[in-house]
Amino acid sequence: MTKLARTGAWPGILLASGILLVCLVLALALGPASLSIGRIWDLLMAGPVKGNLDNAIFWQIRMPRVLVAALVGAALAVAGVILQDLFLNPLTDPYVTGVSSGAALGATIGIVLHLSNLPWITVLAIVGGLGTLALVWMAARRRGRIDIFVLLLAGVTISYLASAVVTVMMIKANEDMTAIIYWLMGSFSGRGWPDVRIALVTIPFMIAPLFFTREMDILLQGEKRALELGVEVERTKRLLLVTAGVLTALAVSVSGIIAFVGLVIPHVVRLMIGPGHRGLLPVSLLAGASLMVLADLLSRTVISPNEIPVGVVTTFIGAPLFVYLLRRGRRA
Amino acid sequence: MTTIRIGRLSAALLLIAVLALGLVALSACGSGDDEATASSSPSAAAPGPITVTDDSGVEVTLDQPAEAIVSLAPANTEIAFAVGAGDKMVAGTSYDDYPEEAKALPKIGDFANPNVEKIASYAPDLVLAAGGIQDKLRTRLEDLGMTVYVVDPTTYDDVIATIENIGKLAGTEDSAATVTDAMTAAQMEVQAAVGDLPQATTFLEIYSEPLMTAGTGTFIDDMITIAGGENIGATAGAGFPNFSTEVLVQTDPEVYIADSGSMSEPGDITKRAGFAELTAVKDGKVYVIEDSLIARPGPRLAEGLKALAGYIHPEADSAQ
Repeated sequence: MTKLARTGAWPGILLASGILLVCLVLALALGPASLSIGRIWDLLMAGPVKGNLDNAIFWQIRMPRVLVAALVGAALAVAGVILQDLFLNPLTDPYVTGVSSGAALGATIGIVLHLSNLPWITVLAIVGGLGTLALVWMAARRRGRIDIFVLLLAGVTISYLASAVVTVMMIKANEDMTAIIYWLMGSFSGRGWPDVRIALVTIPFMIAPLFFTREMDILLQGEKRALELGVEVERTKRLLLVTAGVLTALAVSVSGIIAFVGLVIPHVVRLMIGPGHRGLLPVSLLAGASLMVLADLLSRTVISPNEIPVGVVTTFIGAPLFVYLLRRGRRA
Repeated sequence: MTTIRIGRLSAALLLIAVLALGLVALSACGSGDDEATASSSPSAAAPGPITVTDDSGVEVTLDQPAEAIVSLAPANTEIAFAVGAGDKMVAGTSYDDYPEEAKALPKIGDFANPNVEKIASYAPDLVLAAGGIQDKLRTRLEDLGMTVYVVDPTTYDDVIATIENIGKLAGTEDSAATVTDAMTAAQMEVQAAVGDLPQATTFLEIYSEPLMTAGTGTFIDDMITIAGGENIGATAGAGFPNFSTEVLVQTDPEVYIADSGSMSEPGDITKRAGFAELTAVKDGKVYVIEDSLIARPGPRLAEGLKALAGYIHPEADSAQ
């Protein structure tokens, strides 16, 4: 049974890897600054070199941006899978935990205090996100165990509270309003290697849950059943929550709040390959990265030299795909 | 138990809704009275009505020069003071910071959220509004019997015309002429200095993340052109569009100017991804310009224009 499930996951993972590879190649090859395929190949082979505009465009602007988009998309999708299954609630996305609003509050404080863009705003966003997670955690802790229901409500409540504080700060610091609004909208515009370094921190947190796929599968049947089957429920929940929280905080801190990927990718993947986490987690990771890279490619090329906010593009791609799969799933 | 509570809650909500409706009806009556009193007050002996056309193309008529002016934007406040109508200003916005006296004025809220009730409470005979975000406000204020002039210039010359108009409406044409003459002189001085020089490709950063610039149909674009620059932002469309970093680097501007509202420092700009290779960075032509000198349509644009010319064509500046 388990062996069958194990072999069953690989075709999906391979296919998703292939799709991600294609997306990455397209995203690196195409851009608002038109560089021929031959030129791209030369640049790729030459490596980062100083004193050349095309080289700067490829290595300093396009490459880090594509990598940040891939990592953020992957992180949000993994966080989405974990939280949807932990909360047993299909409407859950990484943002309901309040982590993103906390991160937004941290970033807003940084913007209002005029701490120069990087790295302080990013650092404050991470602090704000993790601080909110700690608050929500404390609210949901009862006699040594985490009450998932309270956690969800506390997350949503603190999320509203943090948003209200952000709004007050926007009104008070009117000249910074644009900066705050744009931060909240989310974007990969202008992301460079320092952002990649922060986004790279997500990798261990994306790999960690892959070692708990069995526990996650069992938790889907409810905490009682999981306890009966010998799962250390509280320890697993704690670990998964912190993982999802850190992933969300890191993702939001480098890119702002980008809608839809964390909500829809887990559902799409579940509809295609089923709810078993051995397949669901890695395929969601790869699909989240692919969707974000593709969305960012469209965001920067379609109306060049203008850009479409990437959250709009993720929604435009994700929504029709999701509705189609839902209808097909119901018919089957 | 729960159903009873919900029942009570909805009853309470209904009650609140009814009360709110009543209040709205009452306030509507109140404003009607205001209008009646305002229009029934006969005008004193005046030399005749003043009519000008504002930046939205609407004719604005006053029977006599304005005596009580409310400004809904820092730029408008600045214009009113510059044309010698400062003593007629009865209220301004929270962000009025120039000239110093403007800070002491009563406030009607800020540029984005002016409080209509507050504006009406000063019974102004002239309201200086702004375009864009305040478009819907005009009809509301006019329905309350106020005269509204919309300041929304798209060129440097528009700004001059608007300053002249406000001078007329305030009955301070002579002081206004001094201001507009100085602005015209600055323009001619700059044109004489840079007229024969080749246009230098210039990028003007309005905001950094995401990168935004000033496009066509803005007086900033107009001023860059007057100052001998070729505005790269004009390729991105009208207004204040966002702009692709890749395209910026490929276009390789000779001059890079950031509006201080973008919160950028020249040091931060040169360190951005890919910017080290830009001609503007290599030549040391990266500047930050004070926001109110280029983004605020008022008399200080003359200073902004000279500063832009100095940044775009330093060789012309030193030659003078």
